[in-house]
Amino acid sequence: MTAIDTTHTQKHHDEGSYLDHRGLGFWGTIWDWASTVDHKKIGVMYLFAVLTMFFIGGVAGLAVRAELWEPMRTAEDGTTTGVLLNFGTPVQDPDTGEWIRSYDISPGQAGNTYNRTFTLHGAVMIFMFIVPAIPAALGNFFLPIMIGAKDVAFPKLNLFSWYVYVFGSLFGVIGLILGGADTGWTFYTPYSIQTDADYWRVTLMVLAAFILGFSSILTGLNFIVTTHKLRAPGMGWFDMPLFVWATYATSIIQVLATPVIGITLLLLIFERVFRIGIFDASMGGDPVLYQHFFWFYSHPVVYVMILHGIGIISELLTVHGRKHIFGYRAIAFSSLGIAGVSFLIWGHHLFAAMSPIAAMVFSALTFIVAVPTAIKVFNWIATLYKSSIAINTPMLYGLGFLFLFSIGGLTGLPLATLSTDLHLHDSYFVVAHFHYVMMGGTVIAFLGGLHHWWPKMFGRMYNEKAAMLGFALVFIGFNVTFFTQFFLGTQGMPRRYASYVDDFQTLHQISTVGSWILAIGLFIHLFTFLHSLFAGPKAPPNLWGGLSLEWEAESPPCAHNFHHEPLIKHGPYDYESVVPPHCSEEDFPLPKQRS
Amino acid sequence: MMQEVAAAAPDPLAAIKNPDLSLVQDSSAAQHLGGLVEKIFFRTGGQNPVAVNTDGLFLMIFWFSVFFFILLMALMVYWVIKYRRRPGVPAEPSPSHNGPLEILWTVVPSSAMILMFIFGFDGYMHKVVAPTNAIQLNVTGFKWDWKIKYPGGEQTTYRTSLGTKKGGVKIFVIPEDTPIKLVMTSNDVVHSFWVPDFRTKMDLYPNRFSTYTFHTEKLEPDELYRDHWIFCAEYCGNSHSEMYGIFRVVPRSDYNDVLNDWNAGSMTPVQMGEMLYKSNCISCHTTDGSPNIGPSWKNLFGYERAISGGTTVLADENYVLESVWYPTKKIAAGYEGQTMTNFSGILDQDQVAAIVAYMKTLSDKGGAPEGESTGGEDAGTNEEPMQDSTGG
Repeated sequence: MTAIDTTHTQKHHDEGSYLDHRGLGFWGTIWDWASTVDHKKIGVMYLFAVLTMFFIGGVAGLAVRAELWEPMRTAEDGTTTGVLLNFGTPVQDPDTGEWIRSYDISPGQAGNTYNRTFTLHGAVMIFMFIVPAIPAALGNFFLPIMIGAKDVAFPKLNLFSWYVYVFGSLFGVIGLILGGADTGWTFYTPYSIQTDADYWRVTLMVLAAFILGFSSILTGLNFIVTTHKLRAPGMGWFDMPLFVWATYATSIIQVLATPVIGITLLLLIFERVFRIGIFDASMGGDPVLYQHFFWFYSHPVVYVMILHGIGIISELLTVHGRKHIFGYRAIAFSSLGIAGVSFLIWGHHLFAAMSPIAAMVFSALTFIVAVPTAIKVFNWIATLYKSSIAINTPMLYGLGFLFLFSIGGLTGLPLATLSTDLHLHDSYFVVAHFHYVMMGGTVIAFLGGLHHWWPKMFGRMYNEKAAMLGFALVFIGFNVTFFTQFFLGTQGMPRRYASYVDDFQTLHQISTVGSWILAIGLFIHLFTFLHSLFAGPKAPPNLWGGLSLEWEAESPPCAHNFHHEPLIKHGPYDYESVVPPHCSEEDFPLPKQRS
Repeated sequence: MMQEVAAAAPDPLAAIKNPDLSLVQDSSAAQHLGGLVEKIFFRTGGQNPVAVNTDGLFLMIFWFSVFFFILLMALMVYWVIKYRRRPGVPAEPSPSHNGPLEILWTVVPSSAMILMFIFGFDGYMHKVVAPTNAIQLNVTGFKWDWKIKYPGGEQTTYRTSLGTKKGGVKIFVIPEDTPIKLVMTSNDVVHSFWVPDFRTKMDLYPNRFSTYTFHTEKLEPDELYRDHWIFCAEYCGNSHSEMYGIFRVVPRSDYNDVLNDWNAGSMTPVQMGEMLYKSNCISCHTTDGSPNIGPSWKNLFGYERAISGGTTVLADENYVLESVWYPTKKIAAGYEGQTMTNFSGILDQDQVAAIVAYMKTLSDKGGAPEGESTGGEDAGTNEEPMQDSTGG
């Protein structure tokens, strides 16, 4: 039995927990959070920041889909129709002197606002939301607790990483207020060198991404050292929950890959500001070099996004299925394997820009990463066999992940295949594929993790029925939005188009309606969570019956996570033989022993 | 003065020049192309060998995916229902490993991956290696239009209006049942030349040539022509989504007639200038004063024009040459934030002079119009001799 003092009950709600701010007053509380080195508070601050970024990026995404409801048309006399987003600069008409919108002078401008909007959507979602989300919010909160530690290895560095994130985001927000960039989140050269030549906007956005990278690197470093050094006595590597393995693999990629994008973005800034010529063909530089540098990071980073989500899924299916994971070591090692192979396959983002030999090599390597990923899915499904499945929101998200991530992964196959990729590259098929893996994978896992750990983090339970309704709308809305886009892609719809030929309108409209359903589902979750913070019932310490160490701590945990250093007497998935902490055998019966 | 040539007989190419699009999915030819699933994915089945091969491989991967997806999801749903939690009932013990199963589910996907890779590589090589008898088309992409030079130096003069941008969309005529090789480059940023019906694209870069090849389809006996969309598939700025083109596949005999129709022959500077305008400038500049991405050429030449920074400049030959070769040196007032493509190295002085001759016909201050049949740069009597102010 673990040596947790069970006499600490939840008599006063936040009393004694990390959220307890009695006696501090308003400014005292602000200072307490601003200067905290407590990984839990830092994780919560990251959580609210990334959710805010998700909201901003999401609004931009809704705007993008709304623009695509109707194609833009320009009549011979210059009048344009079908333009929804136009925040073009007001200019004076040279002939009449009256103030009009810039796109009324030059219809080409009509696409410009759209281009800035999809750039905003991509840049905010990638750099400010999805890369930090699971690691910095949930990873920060739960990694130390799951290994029985008081905090991460370098708590002050953790706080510093948070401020680097804030600082970098500030640059991004300033750039956006000044009008943002119209380069796409990938900043491909030569366009990103030439556009907005007399403004600083592109440089500010690139600088923001550069600064944010340091937050990732330092957080990753912190997590690696924490995992190596701060495990409680008795917890070997193979006694760790799979979420910890996932955090570890994610952190390795973050530390190794992020410096490459940092240097690349710095070179891009120097190119714009000092005209060094490295990516500029007219000065002897090479635009394709930029793409190789960029994707050398940006491919591994998608595994940062998904590996951590995968760690959450392993927790959801085991806790809510009350069963051990099938193939623990397979999942642990395949995470590391995927992390390693992810560095070899970046070229599949630019098959249309390379020689046949390079294309052949990258295609072959890309197929390698599909195998461990598929194996994980098989392991999870096998985990469901002879389990005891509670149908609640976290489990629904876990099952939803299996559905959506499978589609995402399978649709990667025609993209890894060279001859089909030459058709599908830069089409809506790719847009659908990456939304299925990034949103249908990572975001679904993130939402599942939030619903799973919210009661632990805040000591409050949310309204389960509302949450399930939110899940239903998110799941349905997501599929309506993005499944149609596979067909748009195969039929010939290119990406980053503000307008299109008439043939595509029906599918675009269906996709846009889906985005509204998805948005409603997400808003339901937002309101459900907020409501729980103010008026939700208190959550018991282990309402799901989980076995990993966070379920031994209180809800919310006390300042140092545990009152006594935990003794590790069982594995994180020993559901067949251990009654969960704070729970009774009546509620969580054990199977009869096999003779 | 340009004299009208009275048409004695109907134009034999009138049908080919027809601006109405004939997209195969709207025609009877589409009916026997491909099955239901192909139609759902691609609108019609593949029309040429490369498309058929690509579709076949795509569908192979699709059915493979469908099979395993349904299998996995069926198991998932079945087990969620069968093993749903019942109060007081524990989960039964179950193994955490199964060697034979795990080996099976490693070997089967791996084998499938190897097959997909091999077929994909093979199909890809057929797309990038052209047969020696292929007709080579030199493609140039620039913001925001395409230019294709045919083997004899011809360029299309056919356009269709799609209501997508000023100046319409170019129609590039190609012969049926013929291998075609595209050799492509960009004048400015990265573009990508995608023909969805041919299931292939390649990126265009300013510092290299890229290539791919396809074999055009055989038309049905009663088909006059068949059209295929060309889309730019690499984000390139404001009018990325207006950068359309049309490949029009025509019978072999008509193809040669079309090339003759396009052939420059002997042209006056004004005619040459108008042709160059339509190939290079029309996507951004109008000639009638109506607004577009760049300033209209109506009443441009010979006038003082306002440039950003508050000063004015006389729009003479050197202004035009400087604007064409070094567009960022002076930006017209009201057009700040637009970046004109740099044409130095693409249009030489002779060609710019022809453009100037054409511009003069569009301006009240253009002076006496150029002579009809005298070649050369016969400047009007009230113009100053052109000075080279651009100096290297």
